[in-house]
Formats: sequence, C-alpha cells, structure tokens
Amino acid sequence: MSRPSPRTVRRLIGILILVLWEAIPRLGILPELFIPPLTKTLHVLWLDRAIYAAALLVTVYEVAVAMLIACGAGILIGSVVGGVAGVRRLMLPVFSSLYAVPIVILYPVFTAWFGIGSESKIVFAGVYGFFPVMLSTAAGIRTIDEQYLLAARSMGASLPQLIARVVIPASIPTVLAGLRLGGALTIIGVVVSEMLTSANGIGYLVTKNRTTLDSPRVFAAIIVILALSVVYDIAVRYIERRTLVWQTAGRGEAARRAARPALPAQAAA
Amino acid sequence: MQHVAGLSGARAGAKAAVEVRGLSHVYAGRDGAVPALESIDITVPAGRFVVIVGPSGCGKTSLLMMLAGLRAQSSGTILIDGRPIARPDPERVGVVFQEASLYPWLTAVENVEFPLALKHAPRGERRDRAEAMLKLVGLEGFGSRHPHELSGGMKQRVSIARGLVQDPPVLLMDEPFAALDEQTRMTMGHELLRIWGETSKTVVFITHSLTEAVYLADEVLVMSARPGRILDRITVDLPRPRTYQMMATEAFGALRERIWGQIRTAP
Repeated sequence: MSRPSPRTVRRLIGILILVLWEAIPRLGILPELFIPPLTKTLHVLWLDRAIYAAALLVTVYEVAVAMLIACGAGILIGSVVGGVAGVRRLMLPVFSSLYAVPIVILYPVFTAWFGIGSESKIVFAGVYGFFPVMLSTAAGIRTIDEQYLLAARSMGASLPQLIARVVIPASIPTVLAGLRLGGALTIIGVVVSEMLTSANGIGYLVTKNRTTLDSPRVFAAIIVILALSVVYDIAVRYIERRTLVWQTAGRGEAARRAARPALPAQAAA
Repeated sequence: MQHVAGLSGARAGAKAAVEVRGLSHVYAGRDGAVPALESIDITVPAGRFVVIVGPSGCGKTSLLMMLAGLRAQSSGTILIDGRPIARPDPERVGVVFQEASLYPWLTAVENVEFPLALKHAPRGERRDRAEAMLKLVGLEGFGSRHPHELSGGMKQRVSIARGLVQDPPVLLMDEPFAALDEQTRMTMGHELLRIWGETSKTVVFITHSLTEAVYLADEVLVMSARPGRILDRITVDLPRPRTYQMMATEAFGALRERIWGQIRTAP
C-alpha cells in the first residue's frame, strides 16, 4: 500500500476533528458545557442566523475600516521610515520596540476616548495592525537590491522613475507579507476589543453567551470568526498569487531575498 | 568576420570613444582620505575591445562606474564620444553588470525595453526594438519569459540586449560572466565577440579571468592594487575571429603569462 499524500492526511485529520467534536460530548466523555456537539452548534447558528449575520456585519465593517487605517498609515509611514535614512535612524528603534508592547493594554484608554461603540474598536485594531505593515514596508524598501537601483540609474532613470518603476515593484512582496500579517491582526484586534467592552459584534456574542453558560452559542460565534479568518486568508493568498507571478517558481534569487519578510528580526529587536 | 577589422580600421582616425585623462579618485575612509585611483590615462579608439584586469579592490569597478557617469571622480577628465559624462547617459553608454540585475517582475522583453520606457518611447516602437535586440543576442522567442525562467547565461544575454537597446557607441561590462560556470562563460565570451562584430561597439570589459581577457581583447590594461594605476597596456595581436583553439597556442599562453607576471609582481 502506498503512503497517502499529505493532502489526504490533512483532510483525514480535519474530518477526524469534526467527528470527535460530535462524538466526545455525545458519548459523555466531556460535558456539553465544555464542548457542545457540532450539530447542536450549527443548529443554534441556523436558528439565530439573523443575530449572527447582524453581528458579523458590524465586525466586518470595523475590520474593513481598521484595515484601511492600518494599511494606509503603515505603507505611508513605512515608506518614509524605510526610504529616508535620517527618519529611519530616529524612528525605527522606537517603532520596533513599540511593536513588542502588548497594545491591548491601551484598549481601556481607547474606550474612554472613543466610547464603547465601533470607533474604539476601529482605532485599537488599526493601531494593532499598523505595526507589522509599517515595519515590513520599511524593511521592504530598505532591503531592495542595490543593483536594481544602480542599473536603473545607469539607464537614466530619474528619482520619480526610480520610485515608480523599481522601488515600488521591488518592495511589493515584503509589503504584501506585512499586509497579510497586519490584516490578520486587525481581525484579532476587533474581535478581542469586542469581547472586552462592547454591545455589538461577533466578539460581543462570545462574551455575552459565555456569561449565560450558553456553550452552543459561544461555539457558533467562534465558528463565524474562524470562517471570517479563513475567507480573509484565501483572499490574501489570491492577491499574492495574482501579484507575484514572477516569483512563484521561487528560483529567482533576488526575488527570494526580496520576498523573505524581515519581520521576525524586527520584532525581536 | 573580416568586416570587424575593417570597421575598426575605418574608424581609427576618428576621435576616441573613451578618453580618460589624469583621473584620480580619493574617498573618505574611516581613517581619513583613501586614494583609490591614481593618474589613470586611457584612450580607447572607437570600435575597440579593451579589457581591464587587476587584483580585487584595485578600483576597476569604481573606474567603470565613473565611465558610466554613476560616480564622480575627484580629479581628471572623462570624455565619452568626445563629451564629458556627468550623469548616466544611456544613449552614449550602456552598462552590463556582474549580476544580470534584471527586474524579476518584468519579462525578458520588458526588461530590454526598460530604458526606452524611461524615455516614454512609443509602445510599439520599443517592443520592436527590444525584440530585435533579443534576436541579436540569440534569444528570439524568449521575450515573454520572466528572469527566473531563464538560465544564468540567458539572463546575461538579456542584460546585454538591454545595454545595447539604445544603440550607445560604448558598452561597459563589469565582470558580466563571473557568476557563470566555465562552459557557459566560454560560450558567452564567444557570443559577445559575435555581437560585438555585428554592432561594432566600443567595449570596456572588466574581468578577473586572464584567459577571458586575452581571448576577448584588442588591448588588455593591467591595474595595480590600491591605489589603482595602469601598470601595463598589452596589445593582443591574435587574429580575429578568435577561436577556442587559439587558447592552446603558444602566443596565447605568452600573453596570458605576461599579464599574470604583471599582476603577481604588482605591489
């Protein structure tokens, strides 16, 4: 018998988890309060679909605005920090250290400033997602192969042409890696802040139902959040594939160097 | 390939394609001024193939950057096609770098078009021109490939096509084949001579390989260790077209030996 492919094994593990999710509470191995059976969870999700849909809409709106802030400000400030040596020396150590601070401690402050509505979630998640975007943009611009710039200059490129035709395309892979991480963090930021202090959104449904010990409804909310993250991941992968045709083969040495996200080192600094 | 000799002969009376007079360069190092290049004089007549060899760090790449207008010298003059070069001018000088430095996000033909796109040349015209250059370097039909789909030798061919696309009289090459394996390197040298024969460019070529130097050059300039000076100018009078068989000849060996002697005894 031949060895099954990793893909098959992954699928089998997925199915196994779903089966256990159903079987463990049904067989009484764990109480339903800990893990409600999968079918029961899906059933309440269906029953309360109007409530969950409304909450999801709020969450998606907050995530979308927060992503816009995180990506816009991150790319803008990251370009300046990465591209201007003076600003970089001054600001990069500060930003790198701030990245290590658990920003969630600021959330209570944000609720005091912006209230417990969507605004405080958007600002918090925006700040949360801003750092990886900004740091990877700065890294992407700073690590551009000098040869690319030298070659362009030898061909008579002006500064605006250098930026438009070399710096931007060359830094796209690293910036995209940052956007992917930053976007994921805004989802986390929104959901966590909804769980902490809120009156709406999917995160709020988790907290509210947990206080009433309504496990199926807690897990239903978790499923919705999982779905949101998965959809986000698929979308980002799709964008990456479309944008980076030239490095999918992974053989281009320069492309590989450019694509390697410099974030772990940044975060450690 | 008799016409090559004819061409360079016909142009011999014309002004030099590359003229360097009293060039010196000093850069600011950590412990004060470091002399990098010292009283360099070079005259390259139009259509000639000149190779510069010298130990690592002798400043030959710096010299090439100055010829390309990419770096300013401390003193002395550089005339390309009779005029000083203060900034890069792709219509007078094409540059081919060691790493092919092609843009991985562009296809081969888009890479070749790049200098024309910078000048906002009409799309159809620049595509035709780029395709013609790819054909010249033997890559017809490879235009739609991305650099990662090309071998090292093919990448350098694209890079040469890009250097020639604006038809500059002078082509500067900074160890273009150094990263290639031996066989590819030999083939590329041969190909370069063919392209040179078909375009009658003036070539200034930097290399570490003495065999490559003798095989390609009309004249070899030997540079000293830092501060770089021209130690010797060796005329390579082997007949053209050059063949691989020549490498085994006594004349070839003697030239190679003479260059090696200069570099070895260089202070």
